[in-house]
Amino acid sequence: MNMTSHTPTAYNFGFLDEYAKKEVRRAILKAVSIPGYQVPYASREMPMGRGFGTGGLQLTLSLIGPGEVLKVIDQGSDDSVNAVNLRQFIEMTCPGVSTTTRTAEATLIQSRHRIPERPLTGDQIIVLQVPYPDALVVVEPSEDKRKIMHGEADYSRLLVKLYEDIVQFDEITISHRYPTRINGHYVIDPSPIPRWDVPKLHHSRSLALFGAGREKKIYAVPPHTDAEPLVFTDVPFRVEDFRDGEGRRRACERCGCADSFLDEFVDGSGEKVYQCSDSDWCDEHLAEANQGVTA
Amino acid sequence: MNIEAIWQAQTQQALFREMLEAMARPGTVRDLAHHLEGANALRGLLATLMDGSTTLADPHGLVHDADRVLLQAALDMPERARFVAVDGERAPDFQPALGTLASPELGATLVIVVDALDAGSLTLDLTGPGVESVKRLACAGLHPDWIAAREEWNADFPLGVDLILVDKTKLAAMPRTTRINVLAEVH
Repeated sequence: MNMTSHTPTAYNFGFLDEYAKKEVRRAILKAVSIPGYQVPYASREMPMGRGFGTGGLQLTLSLIGPGEVLKVIDQGSDDSVNAVNLRQFIEMTCPGVSTTTRTAEATLIQSRHRIPERPLTGDQIIVLQVPYPDALVVVEPSEDKRKIMHGEADYSRLLVKLYEDIVQFDEITISHRYPTRINGHYVIDPSPIPRWDVPKLHHSRSLALFGAGREKKIYAVPPHTDAEPLVFTDVPFRVEDFRDGEGRRRACERCGCADSFLDEFVDGSGEKVYQCSDSDWCDEHLAEANQGVTA
Repeated sequence: MNIEAIWQAQTQQALFREMLEAMARPGTVRDLAHHLEGANALRGLLATLMDGSTTLADPHGLVHDADRVLLQAALDMPERARFVAVDGERAPDFQPALGTLASPELGATLVIVVDALDAGSLTLDLTGPGVESVKRLACAGLHPDWIAAREEWNADFPLGVDLILVDKTKLAAMPRTTRINVLAEVH
Protein backbone atom coordinates (compact mmCIF):
# COMPACT_ATOMS: atom_id res chain seq x y z
CA MET A 1 0.00 0.00 0.00
CA ASN A 2 2.82 2.34 0.77
CA MET A 3 4.91 1.53 -2.30
CA THR A 4 5.27 4.43 -4.68
CA SER A 5 4.09 3.19 -8.05
CA HIS A 6 6.63 5.12 -10.14
CA THR A 7 9.72 3.66 -8.46
CA PRO A 8 11.92 2.30 -11.22
CA THR A 9 13.97 0.14 -8.85
CA ALA A 10 12.80 -2.96 -7.06
CA TYR A 11 13.32 -1.19 -3.76
CA ASN A 12 10.96 1.04 -1.83
CA PHE A 13 11.71 4.75 -2.20
CA GLY A 14 14.56 5.41 0.20
CA PHE A 15 15.42 1.68 0.51
CA LEU A 16 13.97 1.45 4.04
CA ASP A 17 10.46 0.07 4.37
CA GLU A 18 7.83 2.53 5.59
CA TYR A 19 7.70 0.98 9.06
CA ALA A 20 11.41 1.54 9.55
CA LYS A 21 11.01 5.16 8.44
CA LYS A 22 8.11 5.72 10.82
CA GLU A 23 10.13 4.44 13.74
CA VAL A 24 13.05 6.72 12.85
CA ARG A 25 10.66 9.66 12.37
CA ARG A 26 9.08 9.19 15.79
CA ALA A 27 12.57 9.03 17.30
CA ILE A 28 13.58 12.24 15.47
CA LEU A 29 10.57 14.13 16.86
CA LYS A 30 11.43 13.04 20.41
CA ALA A 31 15.10 13.89 19.83
CA VAL A 32 14.10 17.43 18.85
CA SER A 33 11.74 17.70 21.84
CA ILE A 34 14.48 16.67 24.29
CA PRO A 35 17.55 18.47 22.91
CA GLY A 36 20.73 16.42 23.29
CA TYR A 37 19.03 13.29 24.63
CA GLN A 38 19.99 10.10 22.80
CA VAL A 39 16.75 8.47 21.67
CA PRO A 40 17.17 4.71 21.12
CA TYR A 41 15.90 3.21 17.86
CA ALA A 42 16.06 -0.15 16.12
CA SER A 43 18.73 0.72 13.49
CA ARG A 44 18.02 -1.57 10.54
CA GLU A 45 20.58 -3.56 8.59
CA MET A 46 21.80 -1.48 5.68
CA PRO A 47 23.65 -2.82 2.65
CA MET A 48 26.91 -1.46 4.07
CA GLY A 49 28.77 -2.10 7.28
CA ARG A 50 27.83 -0.38 10.50
CA GLY A 51 30.45 2.29 11.04
CA PHE A 52 30.13 3.52 7.45
CA GLY A 53 27.51 6.12 8.22
CA THR A 54 24.46 3.89 8.52
CA GLY A 55 23.03 6.01 11.35
CA GLY A 56 23.24 9.19 9.30
CA LEU A 57 21.98 7.32 6.27
CA GLN A 58 18.86 6.05 8.04
CA LEU A 59 18.11 9.61 9.14
CA THR A 60 18.59 10.92 5.61
CA LEU A 61 16.43 8.18 4.09
CA SER A 62 13.63 8.86 6.59
CA LEU A 63 13.74 12.60 5.88
CA ILE A 64 14.26 12.72 2.14
CA GLY A 65 11.56 13.16 -0.47
CA PRO A 66 11.27 13.93 -4.17
CA GLY A 67 12.51 17.44 -4.96
CA GLU A 68 15.12 17.32 -2.20
CA VAL A 69 18.58 18.72 -3.01
CA LEU A 70 21.11 16.61 -1.14
CA LYS A 71 24.78 17.21 -0.36
CA VAL A 72 26.94 14.45 1.13
CA ILE A 73 30.24 15.32 2.80
CA ASP A 74 33.09 13.18 4.11
CA GLN A 75 35.72 15.14 6.06
CA GLY A 76 34.77 18.34 4.25
CA SER A 77 34.94 16.84 0.78
CA ASP A 78 32.18 15.62 -1.53
CA ASP A 79 34.63 13.35 -3.36
CA SER A 80 35.91 11.19 -0.51
CA VAL A 81 35.02 7.53 -0.67
CA ASN A 82 32.39 7.53 2.09
CA ALA A 83 30.56 10.51 0.58
CA VAL A 84 30.64 9.05 -2.92
CA ASN A 85 29.33 5.67 -1.73
CA LEU A 86 26.47 7.15 0.28
CA ARG A 87 25.53 9.65 -2.43
CA GLN A 88 25.38 6.93 -5.08
CA PHE A 89 23.30 4.73 -2.82
CA ILE A 90 20.82 7.54 -2.15
CA GLU A 91 20.65 8.48 -5.85
CA MET A 92 19.93 4.85 -6.70
CA THR A 93 17.20 4.35 -4.11
CA CYS A 94 15.57 7.80 -4.14
CA PRO A 95 14.38 8.69 -7.65
CA GLY A 96 13.43 12.37 -7.99
CA VAL A 97 16.12 13.54 -5.58
CA SER A 98 18.92 15.70 -6.91
CA THR A 99 22.40 16.03 -5.47
CA THR A 100 24.79 18.94 -5.31
CA THR A 101 28.24 19.76 -3.98
CA ARG A 102 27.23 23.39 -3.31
CA THR A 103 26.38 24.02 0.34
CA ALA A 104 24.17 26.97 -0.59
CA GLU A 105 21.98 24.86 -2.92
CA ALA A 106 21.39 21.95 -0.57
CA THR A 107 18.18 21.43 1.41
CA LEU A 108 19.54 18.38 3.22
CA ILE A 109 23.19 17.78 4.08
CA GLN A 110 24.59 14.51 5.37
CA SER A 111 28.10 14.90 6.71
CA ARG A 112 30.90 12.93 8.28
CA HIS A 113 33.19 14.88 10.61
CA ARG A 114 32.60 18.44 9.36
CA ILE A 115 29.98 21.17 9.39
CA PRO A 116 30.27 23.37 6.28
CA GLU A 117 32.07 26.71 6.64
CA ARG A 118 29.20 28.59 5.01
CA PRO A 119 26.63 29.26 7.76
CA LEU A 120 23.61 27.03 7.28
CA THR A 121 20.18 28.56 6.79
CA GLY A 122 16.81 27.90 8.36
CA ASP A 123 15.78 25.98 5.23
CA GLN A 124 18.53 23.41 5.64
CA ILE A 125 18.88 20.34 7.84
CA ILE A 126 22.28 18.84 8.60
CA VAL A 127 22.60 15.13 9.42
CA LEU A 128 25.83 14.10 11.11
CA GLN A 129 27.18 10.55 11.16
CA VAL A 130 28.13 9.50 14.68
CA PRO A 131 30.47 6.64 15.64
CA TYR A 132 30.29 7.09 19.44
CA PRO A 133 27.18 8.94 20.64
CA ASP A 134 27.76 9.01 24.39
CA ALA A 135 30.17 11.59 25.82
CA LEU A 136 30.06 9.78 29.18
CA VAL A 137 31.44 6.51 27.86
CA VAL A 138 35.00 7.54 28.78
CA VAL A 139 34.07 7.76 32.46
CA GLU A 140 31.27 5.19 32.91
CA PRO A 141 31.08 1.81 31.13
CA SER A 142 27.50 0.96 32.13
CA GLU A 143 24.83 2.40 29.84
CA ASP A 144 22.17 2.07 32.56
CA LYS A 145 24.25 4.27 34.83
CA ARG A 146 25.07 6.71 32.03
CA LYS A 147 21.38 7.15 31.28
CA ILE A 148 20.73 8.12 34.90
CA MET A 149 23.74 10.48 34.89
CA HIS A 150 22.45 12.13 31.71
CA GLY A 151 18.94 12.42 33.17
CA GLU A 152 20.29 14.13 36.26
CA ALA A 153 22.69 16.22 34.14
CA ASP A 154 25.46 14.84 36.36
CA TYR A 155 28.66 15.49 34.45
CA SER A 156 31.01 15.82 37.41
CA ARG A 157 33.13 12.84 36.38
CA LEU A 158 33.47 14.20 32.87
CA LEU A 159 34.61 17.52 34.30
CA VAL A 160 37.19 15.69 36.43
CA LYS A 161 38.48 14.08 33.24
CA LEU A 162 38.85 17.50 31.63
CA TYR A 163 40.49 18.83 34.78
CA GLU A 164 43.07 16.01 34.68
CA ASP A 165 43.99 17.24 31.21
CA ILE A 166 44.57 20.74 32.55
CA VAL A 167 46.74 19.42 35.38
CA GLN A 168 48.86 17.44 32.92
CA PHE A 169 48.95 19.68 29.86
CA ASP A 170 47.65 23.09 30.99
CA GLU A 171 44.78 22.78 28.58
CA ILE A 172 41.99 20.44 27.54
CA THR A 173 43.49 18.26 24.83
CA ILE A 174 40.34 16.96 23.13
CA SER A 175 40.77 17.66 19.41
CA HIS A 176 37.42 16.43 18.13
CA ARG A 177 34.18 15.01 19.61
CA TYR A 178 34.33 17.85 22.13
CA PRO A 179 31.66 17.32 24.85
CA THR A 180 29.03 19.99 24.34
CA ARG A 181 26.16 20.88 26.62
CA ILE A 182 22.82 21.38 24.90
CA ASN A 183 20.18 23.73 26.31
CA GLY A 184 21.89 23.67 29.70
CA HIS A 185 21.19 19.99 30.34
CA TYR A 186 22.37 17.05 28.22
CA VAL A 187 26.02 16.80 27.19
CA ILE A 188 26.43 15.32 23.72
CA ASP A 189 29.25 13.90 21.70
CA PRO A 190 28.87 16.23 18.70
CA SER A 191 30.39 13.53 16.41
CA PRO A 192 34.05 13.74 15.32
CA ILE A 193 33.80 17.34 14.13
CA PRO A 194 36.87 19.44 15.00
CA ARG A 195 36.64 22.05 17.75
CA TRP A 196 36.41 24.58 14.92
CA ASP A 197 32.88 23.38 14.13
CA VAL A 198 31.49 23.18 17.67
CA PRO A 199 30.51 26.90 17.92
CA LYS A 200 28.49 26.46 14.69
CA LEU A 201 25.98 24.36 16.66
CA HIS A 202 25.31 27.21 19.09
CA HIS A 203 22.12 29.04 18.08
CA SER A 204 22.40 27.74 14.55
CA ARG A 205 19.66 28.68 12.11
CA SER A 206 19.43 25.06 10.95
CA LEU A 207 18.39 21.88 12.71
CA ALA A 208 21.22 19.40 13.38
CA LEU A 209 20.40 15.70 13.65
CA PHE A 210 22.86 13.04 14.79
CA GLY A 211 22.59 9.36 13.88
CA ALA A 212 24.61 6.51 15.36
CA GLY A 213 23.78 3.31 13.44
CA ARG A 214 25.92 0.85 15.36
CA GLU A 215 25.02 2.32 18.76
CA LYS A 216 21.36 2.75 17.70
CA LYS A 217 20.89 6.32 18.90
CA ILE A 218 19.40 9.49 17.41
CA TYR A 219 19.82 12.93 18.95
CA ALA A 220 19.35 16.53 17.91
CA VAL A 221 20.36 20.12 18.40
CA PRO A 222 17.35 22.24 17.40
CA PRO A 223 17.88 25.67 15.80
CA HIS A 224 18.35 28.65 18.14
CA THR A 225 19.47 26.42 21.01
CA ASP A 226 22.38 26.79 23.44
CA ALA A 227 25.27 24.47 22.55
CA GLU A 228 28.15 25.17 24.90
CA PRO A 229 31.41 23.23 24.99
CA LEU A 230 32.21 22.00 28.51
CA VAL A 231 34.84 24.31 29.98
CA PHE A 232 36.07 25.84 33.21
CA THR A 233 35.57 29.57 33.68
CA ASP A 234 39.32 30.18 33.95
CA VAL A 235 40.24 27.98 30.95
CA PRO A 236 38.16 29.20 28.03
CA PHE A 237 37.29 27.01 25.06
CA ARG A 238 39.38 27.69 22.01
CA VAL A 239 39.32 26.39 18.47
CA GLU A 240 42.26 25.17 16.39
CA ASP A 241 45.07 27.67 15.94
CA PHE A 242 46.35 27.91 12.36
CA ARG A 243 49.18 30.36 12.98
CA ASP A 244 52.69 29.52 11.84
CA GLY A 245 55.88 29.92 13.89
CA GLU A 246 55.89 33.68 13.28
CA GLY A 247 52.32 34.09 14.41
CA ARG A 248 50.84 34.60 10.95
CA ARG A 249 47.52 32.91 10.16
CA ARG A 250 48.15 30.22 7.56
CA ALA A 251 46.10 30.49 4.38
CA CYS A 252 44.78 27.86 2.02
CA GLU A 253 47.41 26.98 -0.61
CA ARG A 254 44.72 26.65 -3.28
CA CYS A 255 42.25 29.53 -2.75
CA GLY A 256 44.09 31.79 -0.31
CA CYS A 257 41.34 31.76 2.29
CA ALA A 258 42.70 32.64 5.73
CA ASP A 259 39.63 32.06 7.87
CA SER A 260 38.68 28.43 7.18
CA PHE A 261 39.55 25.12 8.83
CA LEU A 262 42.72 23.84 7.14
CA ASP A 263 43.93 20.31 6.36
CA GLU A 264 47.67 19.68 6.42
CA PHE A 265 49.29 17.84 3.53
CA VAL A 266 52.84 16.95 2.62
CA ASP A 267 53.54 17.81 -1.00
CA GLY A 268 55.92 16.00 -3.39
CA SER A 269 58.99 17.81 -2.14
CA GLY A 270 58.26 16.96 1.50
CA GLU A 271 56.99 20.46 2.35
CA LYS A 272 53.90 20.92 4.51
CA VAL A 273 51.05 22.62 2.68
CA TYR A 274 47.62 23.69 3.95
CA GLN A 275 44.27 23.57 2.18
CA CYS A 276 40.66 24.28 3.07
CA SER A 277 39.04 21.15 4.45
CA ASP A 278 35.64 22.25 3.08
CA SER A 279 36.01 21.66 -0.66
CA ASP A 280 32.92 23.66 -1.66
CA TRP A 281 34.11 26.65 0.38
CA CYS A 282 37.51 26.38 -1.32
CA ASP A 283 36.00 26.11 -4.83
CA GLU A 284 33.83 29.13 -4.20
CA HIS A 285 36.76 31.23 -3.01
CA LEU A 286 38.86 30.10 -5.94
CA ALA A 287 36.10 31.09 -8.37
CA GLU A 288 35.82 34.51 -6.69
CA ALA A 289 39.58 34.99 -6.87
CA ASN A 290 39.63 34.04 -10.56
CA GLN A 291 36.78 36.43 -11.29
CA GLY A 292 38.83 39.16 -9.65
CA VAL A 293 41.70 38.37 -12.03
CA THR A 294 39.60 38.44 -15.20
CA ALA A 295 37.65 41.56 -14.22
CA MET B 1 -7.80 1.27 -6.49
CA ASN B 2 -7.83 4.84 -5.30
CA ILE B 3 -5.81 5.29 -2.10
CA GLU B 4 -6.41 8.46 -0.11
CA ALA B 5 -3.36 10.75 -0.11
CA ILE B 6 -2.64 10.51 3.64
CA TRP B 7 -2.04 6.76 3.39
CA GLN B 8 0.59 7.16 0.67
CA ALA B 9 4.28 7.12 1.50
CA GLN B 10 5.11 10.26 -0.45
CA THR B 11 2.44 12.31 1.35
CA GLN B 12 3.56 10.95 4.71
CA GLN B 13 7.14 12.00 3.99
CA ALA B 14 5.99 15.54 3.19
CA LEU B 15 3.76 15.63 6.27
CA PHE B 16 6.59 14.40 8.47
CA ARG B 17 8.84 17.20 7.26
CA GLU B 18 6.12 19.71 8.17
CA MET B 19 5.85 18.16 11.65
CA LEU B 20 9.61 18.24 12.08
CA GLU B 21 9.71 21.92 11.11
CA ALA B 22 6.91 22.59 13.57
CA MET B 23 8.66 20.70 16.38
CA ALA B 24 12.05 22.30 15.66
CA ARG B 25 10.50 25.78 15.57
CA PRO B 26 7.84 25.86 18.30
CA GLY B 27 4.83 28.01 17.60
CA THR B 28 5.38 28.09 13.85
CA VAL B 29 2.08 27.28 12.17
CA ARG B 30 2.44 24.89 9.23
CA ASP B 31 -0.41 24.66 6.73
CA LEU B 32 -0.74 21.06 5.54
CA ALA B 33 -3.75 21.61 3.25
CA HIS B 34 -1.95 20.96 -0.04
CA HIS B 35 -0.64 17.60 1.26
CA LEU B 36 -3.86 16.47 2.91
CA GLU B 37 -6.10 16.61 -0.18
CA GLY B 38 -9.25 17.07 1.88
CA ALA B 39 -8.35 15.01 4.94
CA ASN B 40 -8.02 16.80 8.26
CA ALA B 41 -4.69 17.47 9.93
CA LEU B 42 -5.31 15.01 12.79
CA ARG B 43 -5.82 12.13 10.36
CA GLY B 44 -2.77 13.16 8.33
CA LEU B 45 -0.62 13.33 11.45
CA LEU B 46 -1.76 9.98 12.79
CA ALA B 47 -1.41 8.27 9.41
CA THR B 48 2.16 9.57 9.23
CA LEU B 49 3.29 8.55 12.71
CA MET B 50 1.27 5.48 13.70
CA ASP B 51 2.01 1.84 13.08
CA GLY B 52 1.76 -1.39 15.04
CA SER B 53 4.76 -0.63 17.22
CA THR B 54 3.34 2.41 18.98
CA THR B 55 0.28 3.07 21.11
CA LEU B 56 -2.56 5.56 20.79
CA ALA B 57 -5.18 6.75 23.25
CA ASP B 58 -8.37 8.31 21.95
CA PRO B 59 -10.36 9.27 25.07
CA HIS B 60 -12.63 11.70 23.20
CA GLY B 61 -13.45 9.41 20.29
CA LEU B 62 -11.80 11.54 17.59
CA VAL B 63 -10.58 8.65 15.43
CA HIS B 64 -13.03 6.82 13.17
CA ASP B 65 -13.20 3.04 13.36
CA ALA B 66 -12.14 2.66 9.73
CA ASP B 67 -9.00 4.74 10.37
CA ARG B 68 -8.20 2.91 13.57
CA VAL B 69 -7.74 -0.33 11.63
CA LEU B 70 -5.42 1.31 9.10
CA LEU B 71 -3.39 3.10 11.77
CA GLN B 72 -2.52 -0.31 13.30
CA ALA B 73 -1.54 1.30 16.61
CA ALA B 74 -2.61 -0.58 19.72
CA LEU B 75 -5.17 1.38 21.73
CA ASP B 76 -4.14 2.21 25.26
CA MET B 77 -5.20 4.30 28.23
CA PRO B 78 -4.44 8.05 28.02
CA GLU B 79 -2.27 7.61 31.13
CA ARG B 80 -0.02 5.13 29.32
CA ALA B 81 -0.17 5.70 25.56
CA ARG B 82 2.75 7.17 23.60
CA PHE B 83 0.33 9.32 21.59
CA VAL B 84 -2.90 10.78 22.94
CA ALA B 85 -5.39 12.53 20.68
CA VAL B 86 -7.70 14.91 22.53
CA ASP B 87 -10.33 17.56 21.99
CA GLY B 88 -8.82 20.87 23.12
CA GLU B 89 -12.16 22.33 24.19
CA ARG B 90 -12.44 19.82 27.02
CA ALA B 91 -10.32 20.26 30.12
CA PRO B 92 -7.72 17.55 30.77
CA ASP B 93 -8.92 14.83 33.16
CA PHE B 94 -5.95 12.45 33.06
CA GLN B 95 -2.20 12.57 33.55
CA PRO B 96 -0.33 11.38 30.48
CA ALA B 97 2.89 9.35 30.62
CA LEU B 98 5.81 11.65 31.48
CA GLY B 99 8.63 9.19 30.77
CA THR B 100 11.36 8.27 33.20
CA LEU B 101 14.63 9.94 34.10
CA ALA B 102 16.54 7.34 32.09
CA SER B 103 14.03 7.27 29.21
CA PRO B 104 12.28 10.64 28.91
CA GLU B 105 11.25 9.82 25.32
CA LEU B 106 8.50 7.68 26.87
CA GLY B 107 6.75 10.93 27.79
CA ALA B 108 3.61 11.17 25.65
CA THR B 109 2.98 13.27 22.57
CA LEU B 110 -0.40 14.96 23.00
CA VAL B 111 -2.18 15.81 19.79
CA ILE B 112 -4.71 18.49 20.70
CA VAL B 113 -7.46 19.36 18.24
CA VAL B 114 -8.37 23.06 18.43
CA ASP B 115 -10.79 25.22 16.42
CA ALA B 116 -8.21 27.47 14.80
CA LEU B 117 -4.51 28.20 14.77
CA ASP B 118 -3.13 31.60 13.79
CA ALA B 119 -6.44 33.10 14.87
CA GLY B 120 -8.49 33.29 18.03
CA SER B 121 -8.52 34.99 21.37
CA LEU B 122 -5.91 32.90 23.21
CA THR B 123 -2.49 34.37 22.59
CA LEU B 124 0.65 32.58 23.72
CA ASP B 125 4.18 33.92 23.75
CA LEU B 126 6.67 31.09 23.36
CA THR B 127 10.37 31.03 24.18
CA GLY B 128 12.96 28.28 24.42
CA PRO B 129 14.94 26.04 22.05
CA GLY B 130 13.93 26.55 18.43
CA VAL B 131 12.65 30.09 19.05
CA GLU B 132 14.98 32.93 18.11
CA SER B 133 13.54 35.48 20.53
CA VAL B 134 9.80 35.19 21.14
CA LYS B 135 7.21 33.43 18.98
CA ARG B 136 3.60 34.48 19.28
CA LEU B 137 0.94 31.85 18.66
CA ALA B 138 -2.78 32.57 18.56
CA CYS B 139 -5.37 29.85 18.79
CA ALA B 140 -9.05 29.29 19.38
CA GLY B 141 -10.71 26.40 21.13
CA LEU B 142 -7.99 25.45 23.59
CA HIS B 143 -9.16 25.06 27.18
CA PRO B 144 -6.70 27.09 29.31
CA ASP B 145 -6.35 24.15 31.73
CA TRP B 146 -4.19 22.37 29.12
CA ILE B 147 -1.55 25.08 29.48
CA ALA B 148 -1.67 24.90 33.28
CA ALA B 149 -1.59 21.09 33.32
CA ARG B 150 1.28 21.03 30.84
CA GLU B 151 3.29 23.31 33.07
CA GLU B 152 2.83 20.86 35.92
CA TRP B 153 3.66 17.83 33.75
CA ASN B 154 6.79 19.50 32.39
CA ALA B 155 8.07 20.80 35.72
CA ASP B 156 10.89 18.25 35.99
CA PHE B 157 12.85 18.29 32.74
CA PRO B 158 13.71 15.93 31.06
CA LEU B 159 10.36 14.39 32.05
CA GLY B 160 7.31 15.77 30.32
CA VAL B 161 4.91 15.80 27.41
CA ASP B 162 5.20 17.30 23.95
CA LEU B 163 2.20 19.07 22.44
CA ILE B 164 1.11 19.22 18.84
CA LEU B 165 -1.89 21.46 18.18
CA VAL B 166 -3.92 20.83 15.06
CA ASP B 167 -6.89 22.60 13.58
CA LYS B 168 -8.65 21.51 10.36
CA THR B 169 -5.55 21.74 8.17
CA LYS B 170 -2.81 23.41 10.21
CA LEU B 171 -0.37 22.27 12.84
CA ALA B 172 1.90 23.85 15.47
CA ALA B 173 4.04 22.24 18.15
CA MET B 174 5.22 22.97 21.67
CA PRO B 175 7.85 20.49 22.83
CA ARG B 176 8.48 20.13 26.58
CA THR B 177 11.30 22.68 26.44
CA THR B 178 9.03 25.51 25.30
CA ARG B 179 8.14 28.12 27.91
CA ILE B 180 4.66 29.54 27.48
CA ASN B 181 3.56 32.96 28.58
CA VAL B 182 -0.22 33.30 28.33
CA LEU B 183 -1.21 36.80 27.34
CA ALA B 184 -4.57 38.02 28.52
CA GLU B 185 -7.35 36.71 26.35
CA VAL B 186 -8.49 39.45 24.00
CA HIS B 187 -12.16 39.65 23.21
